[in-house]
Amino acid sequence: MKIIIVGAGEVGTHLAKLLARENMEITLLDENPERLKDLDLNYDLLTYEGSPTSINNLKEIGVENADLFIGVTPYESVNMTACMIATNLGAVKTLARINNYEYLLPQNKEFFKKLGVDYLIYPEVLAANEIVESLKTSWLRQNMSFCNNALILLGIKVRSNAVIINKKFSTGFFDHNRYRVVAIKRGSQTIIPKGSDEILANDIVYFITTPENLEFVKEQAGKEDFPIRNVMFMGGSRIAQKTLFNLPSHIHAKVLERDKEKSLLLANKFPNALIINADARNIDIIKQEGIEEADAFVAATSNSEANILACLVAKQFGVKKTIAEVENLDYISLAESLDIGAVINKKMIAASYIYQITLHANVLNVRNLTAADAEVVEFVAKPTSKITRSKIKDLKLPENVNIGGIVRNGIGSIVNGDTIIKPDDHVIVFCISSSIRKIEPFFN
Amino acid sequence: MNKEINVKLVMRMLGSLLLSEATALLLVFFLSFVFKESDGYYFLITSGVCYLIGLLGILLGRNASQEMGKREGSLVVTLAWVIFSLFGALPFFISKNIPSYTDAFFETISGFTTTGATILNNIEELSHTMLFWRSFTQWMGGLGIIVIFLALLPMFGTSGAQLFAAEASGPTKDKIHPKITETAKRLFLIYFLLTFAETILLRIGGMNWFDAVCHSFTTIATGGFSTKQNSIAYWNSPFIQYIIILFMILAGVNFSLYYFGFKNKFKKIKENEEFRYFLIVLFSFAIIIFISLIDFSQPVSFHKIENSWRDALFTITSLMTTTGFTIVDYMQWAPFAWIILLIVMLTGASAGSTAGGIKMIRIVISFKFCYYEFKRLIHPNAVVPVRYSGHLVQEDVITRVLAFVLLYLIVAIFGILILCVSGVGFIESIGALISCLSCVGPGLGLVGPMGNFAYLPVFSKWFLSFIMLLGRLELFTVLVLFTPAFWKK
Repeated sequence: MKIIIVGAGEVGTHLAKLLARENMEITLLDENPERLKDLDLNYDLLTYEGSPTSINNLKEIGVENADLFIGVTPYESVNMTACMIATNLGAVKTLARINNYEYLLPQNKEFFKKLGVDYLIYPEVLAANEIVESLKTSWLRQNMSFCNNALILLGIKVRSNAVIINKKFSTGFFDHNRYRVVAIKRGSQTIIPKGSDEILANDIVYFITTPENLEFVKEQAGKEDFPIRNVMFMGGSRIAQKTLFNLPSHIHAKVLERDKEKSLLLANKFPNALIINADARNIDIIKQEGIEEADAFVAATSNSEANILACLVAKQFGVKKTIAEVENLDYISLAESLDIGAVINKKMIAASYIYQITLHANVLNVRNLTAADAEVVEFVAKPTSKITRSKIKDLKLPENVNIGGIVRNGIGSIVNGDTIIKPDDHVIVFCISSSIRKIEPFFN
Repeated sequence: MNKEINVKLVMRMLGSLLLSEATALLLVFFLSFVFKESDGYYFLITSGVCYLIGLLGILLGRNASQEMGKREGSLVVTLAWVIFSLFGALPFFISKNIPSYTDAFFETISGFTTTGATILNNIEELSHTMLFWRSFTQWMGGLGIIVIFLALLPMFGTSGAQLFAAEASGPTKDKIHPKITETAKRLFLIYFLLTFAETILLRIGGMNWFDAVCHSFTTIATGGFSTKQNSIAYWNSPFIQYIIILFMILAGVNFSLYYFGFKNKFKKIKENEEFRYFLIVLFSFAIIIFISLIDFSQPVSFHKIENSWRDALFTITSLMTTTGFTIVDYMQWAPFAWIILLIVMLTGASAGSTAGGIKMIRIVISFKFCYYEFKRLIHPNAVVPVRYSGHLVQEDVITRVLAFVLLYLIVAIFGILILCVSGVGFIESIGALISCLSCVGPGLGLVGPMGNFAYLPVFSKWFLSFIMLLGRLELFTVLVLFTPAFWKK
């Protein structure tokens, strides 16, 4: 598969490295040679210095043979123009990163297709959705639903009060009819559990279960539900704005924004939220603004370090849930070990969304689990595909892959080794990043 | 802070590389039946040893993590060349064709690095099988062991990019395809086609099939091993000599230009400055030497003029592309010609070709940089960036190029010193060192076109072997292993 990525920014570079590890032909184009420096020496890809909207440059890198053209420069209009040129030169599919919510509306999809842009991606919106999801249920790190809520994936940090800790899987303590543990994240390690593994305190445990067993999982994990009513935001960044936009109405939001102009703008845009023109790093001010009463704290400025530190401060004031936007990939495991709660990375979310497009099999969904460096994939089993031929335990599945559950005729169920997958089942698979392609042949 | 070197991965990669050498040796063993010779047996033994040790390496390196850094890259590439030479020397040694292991190793690494310096006093007494292996080492080394391996066996996965970069560390990007294995395949195809074409033409020119194949191997690899003691002079055929001149020049051109040629991107070839300067320098020096060779005191005939022109062009081409074939004893020429020969040995041909030396592109960039420095003296605030082939050259590239040229000259000067200390004569030291560093073959004086390296002291031979490896892998890949920073945790 030949893929051209224009814009060697954070999303572009991350995606290029991710895809270059597989059998893909990646060409990365950027105007700035600084950003391309040494990339082609260290990774199996080709870099090219040129303008994303130059017909000549695009021809030079063989856009006419491209299966996928991805425009991820910071500029919406550049991405759109580049995609239109690419489509007309012969690229099969195109994707543009945008900054305009209007474009994402379903009724505009056909319109953009006509223009020559097949997919649109708005990383900030994807990140905001994830924040909103995690604010809705206070005791969860991550919450994803599949097939209209037939199955859910839960990421839970278990403490020493949980009943499931220190018990080996082989003891049979775990009720695999009601939930299934698909992965455990311990320190910087992601473990696909086997019989001899056990759950320890402070692990993040990923469960697959059905909505009716949600309460049961909560009990097992020793968690308590507390309603989130007051949320404090640090900075009125684009992600924060999109989050505010989608926030349920019963949640009160307080936004601390340093910039006066921006504060005014925010106040105008979000009349229901309380906008405070102050620096959230000033402890006196956040105390005064009632950090102690806040149920959740969201730090989504463009500065990863400030976000992490601010969340640490909020934790000290007793805020139960904190969410930090961490752009720097190396900081993610650090943030995790500091115990600052949920970590959001828009780059990785965007990359796994784009990654989905590159898969051949009937993949409905690829969702990124930021903390675990893993993905959850929703496959549809084709008739006569390998996966339908035998019991799961006899399938010889690749390592780092775990089938969590299936949805048959809209009804979700947890799988065990004896389950046989039938054609047209939706299968929820958990896999460590870059193993997706190994599991793909099973579904074709 | 550095991580520990991934020793297991290095072992596994070296193991699998050794298996490929074992396969090459096995191939030569089967060929010995074609020649109806009995010494294929030695290749079978060596092959067996290589298989065993290769498998051992893979066994020791099983479950290695896939993490591959720059350091592992340099280590694998350097060790691969050393190991290939260590084992490649065995057939010469155990068959007693070359009784001393030092000599056998020298001959083999001279083959793999495509130098072409020999310690053999009478090449023709070797069997066909031995001669074939000798030429074949050059053919493998010409394109690069790693490149050939990447092209034929897609085993290294994504770490191929690192290895490729460590083996072919030219200043420009030579990737012609996003995937490194695909790039290697295309390069190999070009390499193969050039070799094939030359074989056919040499056969037409009157060589037998065996000599045609062996000489094609060593021409396209710009190696210079011949199957005859008198090198190309043996055939005394202008047609063969012109064919070889043509293919030496073709082998000295950046291989990616051929690819652009296939793709009908002739503009790229036209605007490639390295190609242009390569031809300009080549022909200018050839003409200077040609004029110096004409003896005006005697009546001038076309035959004589053609002869001088051919001698001059052949010698300059052979030394500039760092091939090292000879048709004439250039030690009979005026001493100024020797200097010219030393200069072209140092410059070498194009980056991305099979030639050694500093490479034209680095020379061109260095000269431009120096020239612009004058401009800056006169207009201190002028912005005069270095342009190459119509593109701006980044400052870090210029720094790397200048550092390379400087280091090359430093290595040359100190190498000459060490050779002299080890008991080699003055002119021989200069000739041998520069010849080996640029992977040419013949040097000056006793190691010149009519002599060989056999008489050198043992230490000098090991030292020159090291210099050949240094030159072939373009200094940094090997020298970085000797820096404390490389091993520091």
